Amino acid sequence: MSAGVRADGLAAGYGGRQVLRDVSFELEHGRTLCVLGPNGGGKTTLFKTLVGELPPLRGTVEVDGRPAYVAQTERTRLDFPVGALDVALMGSLPHGRWWLPPRAADRRAAEDALERVGLSRKAGARFGELSGGQRQRVLLARALVQDARVLLLDEPLAGVDPASAERIAALFGELREEGRSLLVSTHDVESARRFDLVVCLNRRQLAFGPPREVLDRATLEATYGREMIILEDGGPARAVTVQHHEH
Amino acid sequence: MIAAIPSPLDLVDLPFMRTALAELALLAVAGGLLGTWVVLRRLAFFAHAVGTATFPGLVIAEAAGVTAQGAGLATALAYAGGVERAGKAGRGLGDAATGVLLVAALATGVILASDVFHSGAAVDRLLFGTLLGLGRGDLVFSAAVAVLALVATTTVGRTWTAIGFDPDSASSLGLPSARADLLLVGLVAVAVVAAVPAVGALLVTSVFVVPAACARLLADSVRAMLAWAVGVAIAQGALGLYLAYWLDTPPGPAVATLGAGVYALLAIGSAITRRQG
Amino acid sequence: MELAAEFLLDPLRSGIGRRALLEVTLLGAVCGPLAFWIVSERLSYAAESLAHGLLPGLVVAALAGLPLLLGAGGGVLVGAALIAAAGRDERVGPETATGVVVTGMLGLGALLALAPETPQRLEELLFGDPLGVSDADLVAALVLAVAGAATLAGLHRPLSVVALDPSGAAALGVRLTLVRLALLGLLAVAVAVAVQGLGNLLVLAVLLAPAVAVRRHASTVRGSMLAAGALAVAGGVAGIYASFQLGSAAGASVALALSVAALGGAWLPTKRR
Repeated sequence: MSAGVRADGLAAGYGGRQVLRDVSFELEHGRTLCVLGPNGGGKTTLFKTLVGELPPLRGTVEVDGRPAYVAQTERTRLDFPVGALDVALMGSLPHGRWWLPPRAADRRAAEDALERVGLSRKAGARFGELSGGQRQRVLLARALVQDARVLLLDEPLAGVDPASAERIAALFGELREEGRSLLVSTHDVESARRFDLVVCLNRRQLAFGPPREVLDRATLEATYGREMIILEDGGPARAVTVQHHEH
Repeated sequence: MIAAIPSPLDLVDLPFMRTALAELALLAVAGGLLGTWVVLRRLAFFAHAVGTATFPGLVIAEAAGVTAQGAGLATALAYAGGVERAGKAGRGLGDAATGVLLVAALATGVILASDVFHSGAAVDRLLFGTLLGLGRGDLVFSAAVAVLALVATTTVGRTWTAIGFDPDSASSLGLPSARADLLLVGLVAVAVVAAVPAVGALLVTSVFVVPAACARLLADSVRAMLAWAVGVAIAQGALGLYLAYWLDTPPGPAVATLGAGVYALLAIGSAITRRQG
Repeated sequence: MELAAEFLLDPLRSGIGRRALLEVTLLGAVCGPLAFWIVSERLSYAAESLAHGLLPGLVVAALAGLPLLLGAGGGVLVGAALIAAAGRDERVGPETATGVVVTGMLGLGALLALAPETPQRLEELLFGDPLGVSDADLVAALVLAVAGAATLAGLHRPLSVVALDPSGAAALGVRLTLVRLALLGLLAVAVAVAVQGLGNLLVLAVLLAPAVAVRRHASTVRGSMLAAGALAVAGGVAGIYASFQLGSAAGASVALALSVAALGGAWLPTKRR
């Protein structure tokens, strides 16, 4: 497959009820795509369709190989008695047979991945005891062990301390250099500017293209509605989104 | 009122005690191993419900002269199927329907035992277990279940852990989560049936939940939890057996009380250390 | 015709029968509507745990010659306290912790009942004895019925608001936790009283089955509560009659009648939609 990810007229939803439609974009290998939109706008739905958990209601979706999926950290069980290395090792499950114990090579890959995210010293620490940023990095290590061509990251920088955020952003650059395709969802407009391509979702696709073309006032207003405040201080329009915390 | 304290050596000297001890040791293997995932995957109520649901089936089996394990398995799997359907009705109604199914099972068993088959004496034994009535068949079944639990733990265990830890990523990791979870639920149902003769239909959780819950308070990794769970299960099984022998009661209540007591001590201890630390 | 009359009058002729019928009527009248809220507020598991967990209290009361209602009440309080305390450890989780407490309580109760030289009537404690209902039990049931009805009436508006829109309830001035606590309190009292007639293993029938039966068929809250109450009473009466005519265990017959009604109601196709 020439592209990392391709969607064409995609519509998806739960239980027959459509929550997302008109999604069409293409992401080549070695490029990064930001999926921008408010909560409930369909970002996670899109990811679930790309991972293969949700069948498309309409249209098609193609992904090169099995993508690695890093869901939002609140969804993982913090009380599970697993260590950082154990979590990284889970990334080796797709290789070989899932009913066999991990091989020595898998163990080394997990250790290397932890090193790469800067957490080798925390290999034995329990996942639930790590900080939010460290947890995110461990999940990224798991994705690294998976060695997938395409990575899907759902709000990877939400609630992450600045040091971890920097490390993670640097890692994105490395993965891009390696020729992998990265899809990162976020509700933060400013971070979207650093990606190669942006797709705006609010129950349907509103725009797709390079950030400087897509992130204009009209598109942002259509995407965020009343949840956004535009700051114009001489430079390009900067948008600040109002976040609702769902409990 | 309480008999003189018997010698612990009776546990190995008397033939029926040796059988009971072997049975509880074998059950401890399955109970500790599978119990770890019962606790981690929040299946405690399911284990209790499946055990209780075998009660009417066993009453019928005794009256009809059919093997207990066969009838127990049939009712356990039928009940698991019923729970599946009830679960699709939505959380609130599903829980309530499960509760009603449980009560129906108990009520049916009682009426069958006391009024239809007139085997009223069996009710205590089926609900709380027996010390004297364990035989070769029970040992063989429990051994088979122990082996199944061991094999499953070493093969599917990683998958169960990965799914439990992060269900959203299961498909991206290529895990057959639906099948793996079905296997877990099915194995628990079968294993629970093995425990019914010794500890009773009402107290299977004393083998499949309590030791693993204790282990959770002692362990920081799944591997350690598995080991602790089996260890606690064996210890509480042996001590519970001794207590039941001394007080002349069925094993189930003794094992259950001891196990819950151990959990209470561990929980209090852990709360104290966490406040200080 | 005469046979039918005989059939209907049989239980009413004996004092035992009259008392049993009165007991199940009082219990059904208040536990039926209560069941609607238990199921609606997802308290089934709590109900089951409270009911199972009070066994040691019952046994201790029986051993000490005290009224069972006292034992049941004490058992509910102790059980609830233990469940609340155990559920605080997030590693194990409230569901598993409750399971451990209930296992321990059931085991302890059975141990206390079966250990002494003269085993206490464990079966009656577990499965109930509506035919052995005393005047004191009836008074307790009457008090429960009156107090329960008053509580449900008082809580009706806030409960309806909470059921419809839990997140918006706070905005409307309804204190979510207080309402739920009141409901739990009523549940605890109902369990303690109903245990006399139905035993601690089967009492769940009258606290869940009526709601499960009407859930998919009734459309309004008031309609559901009335239907549940009516069904609960009908089930109780049917059980007592079955016990009289067929000679089956009374408590189990009532529980079975209610369960059959529940499963039938859950299974039958609905008129609407």
